[in-house]
Amino acid sequence: MARLSIEHLRKTYGDLTVVDDVTIDIADGEFLVLLGPSGCGKTTTLRMVAGFIAPSAGAITIGERGVTTLPPWKRNCGLVFQSYALFPHMTVAENVAFGLEMRKISPADRAPRVAEALRLVQLTGFDERYPRQLSGGQQQRVALARALAMEPDVLLLDEPLSNLDAKLRQEVRVEIRDLQRKLGLTTIMVTHDQEEALTMADRLVVMEKGKVRQIGTQRELYEKPADRFVAGFIGRSAFLDGDITAPGRFRTKGGVEIGCAAATGTGAATLALRPERIAVGGDADGLHNRFEARVEHASYLGAILDIDVSLSGQDSARQDRMLLQIPNKAGVAEPKPGETITIGWAEDAGLVYPREA
Amino acid sequence: MSTAPEPVAGARTGLAGLLVMPATLFVAIGLIGPIAILFRYSLNQFIPGQFMVDGLTIENYVKFFTDGYYLNVLARTVRVAVFCTVVCLIMGFPLAYVLARTQSRFKNLLIISVVLPLFVGNAVRAAGWMTAFGSRGALNASLMGMGLIDQPLEIMYTENAVLIGIIAVNLPFMVLTLQSVIEGIPRNVEEAAFSLGAGPAAMFWRVLWPLALPGILAGTILTFILAMNAYATPVLLGGPKFQMMGPLVYGQFAQQNNWPFGGAISFILMTATIVLTVAAHLIVQRRYR
Repeated sequence: MARLSIEHLRKTYGDLTVVDDVTIDIADGEFLVLLGPSGCGKTTTLRMVAGFIAPSAGAITIGERGVTTLPPWKRNCGLVFQSYALFPHMTVAENVAFGLEMRKISPADRAPRVAEALRLVQLTGFDERYPRQLSGGQQQRVALARALAMEPDVLLLDEPLSNLDAKLRQEVRVEIRDLQRKLGLTTIMVTHDQEEALTMADRLVVMEKGKVRQIGTQRELYEKPADRFVAGFIGRSAFLDGDITAPGRFRTKGGVEIGCAAATGTGAATLALRPERIAVGGDADGLHNRFEARVEHASYLGAILDIDVSLSGQDSARQDRMLLQIPNKAGVAEPKPGETITIGWAEDAGLVYPREA
Repeated sequence: MSTAPEPVAGARTGLAGLLVMPATLFVAIGLIGPIAILFRYSLNQFIPGQFMVDGLTIENYVKFFTDGYYLNVLARTVRVAVFCTVVCLIMGFPLAYVLARTQSRFKNLLIISVVLPLFVGNAVRAAGWMTAFGSRGALNASLMGMGLIDQPLEIMYTENAVLIGIIAVNLPFMVLTLQSVIEGIPRNVEEAAFSLGAGPAAMFWRVLWPLALPGILAGTILTFILAMNAYATPVLLGGPKFQMMGPLVYGQFAQQNNWPFGGAISFILMTATIVLTVAAHLIVQRRYR
């Protein structure tokens, strides 16, 4: 177990920059999740930590050990792949013992550590099975046991749950999290699944186009997204494009004036609102920003209703369209397109991001 | 995880049986029939002037195994075949690995260039060698012209020429067989081994080699059989004094008109090939299963 630090890490292929100046510090025993859309550089970052890709610039330190130029077999990183990557010609026990064998640990000393690793993932008694005789979830747990048995300094998880079905994913998610806490393992997980990221992480790193957009806890990312991308990527946001006309004043493209505490400076900007902060109907009474909005589209999603409204009523230009989510209450029919509803939000509800005009 | 394979489409209607018929008939008429007749002939007597006399004798086989000349030819054939197969494996594996793992958009071009030697037939290659490496060929002429040697180097009509010739023909078969098997081994499995502390050598022997074993077996068997039965290369590059089993069989039929003895040699060649192949297969299987 050790802390892990990634400093100014960069990877370029010709003119293409895949990972751009990534700096992350991971505390001893911390569970960090790299989250982002596909192609954002999260997997490349993980593979540079594992040693499979040589960085173009930057440094990686595990504990006190600079590992930037070390080959993967000298890094002591436990790795779990999306596709499990078990050795098909070896039994479960041989798979788990492989890392110990490579460290020249005698067969007699290996046995108890293999048994302990299999016990941790609740696969005691599966020693003599071959990977092909196991279910997907069991194979993934063998892969985890194999990585844990060699007592790695850091555990790297590359989309470890993507190949499992939804129900199993929930279970394994909790198992991995519990195990990681119990063993105090410094862990980096890569995923594109937001729910997975939010439930498992101590801290999250949101990446896009090779850059770190924001590092923070779940609450920090949701309540104070650093930019428009994070606001749209973590949870959902309603966005309104417009301009800041004066401190605290925001005017949409459709000309609607909105009071917004976060509006500072001047110029083109985007106002982001969390849908659940927008009140509808009677709940909007007394709020500073209170508008009559025209319903453009409504979707029934079970527990909630998604409603697309036009704030200024100028639907043809697709301006001032925003998304509402209202709880599905008994006896309330969903609004029909063309109807007018009252919506409102507090002055401090929105966040404002500069926008390229 | 493991599921029984689906029955072949049409299995129930008998269509599958109908579809495998042409190939089965072709093999039966073209291969098994003649071999059976050949075996019968190998038990006949050969009396010079009378061609072939019906009989039931093993004297043709006895003749082969009691004559040092023929045993020598067999031993040389096995030696050449084993050597060529081992060299093909050693040279072919790295090449096959690179072909299997490359991300290059020229991959297909690379594969075609591996097969390219097969586009040059044996006769054409031998003719080319003669002009290049013959005693009055370009290489010797220039070396002697420069005064570096006074006797021409003997390259043609040597065992080395035959070895190089057979390897050149067999290597593509080895490479293509290995490449398709290595492609089926996920790169992740190698990476998992690396991350667990295995260096390249340990990864190769503990992971890549055992997983590639089916391909290694198929490739070595293929090249071994081809080398054991090589005909054109030993004749064209080895010259009349370098005898291998393939040319020996043909000589008995076409030149000596001794069909019974030719039949016997054919069977000895076939049996030796099969026995050695099966033996290698069993040894490898015991070692790695």
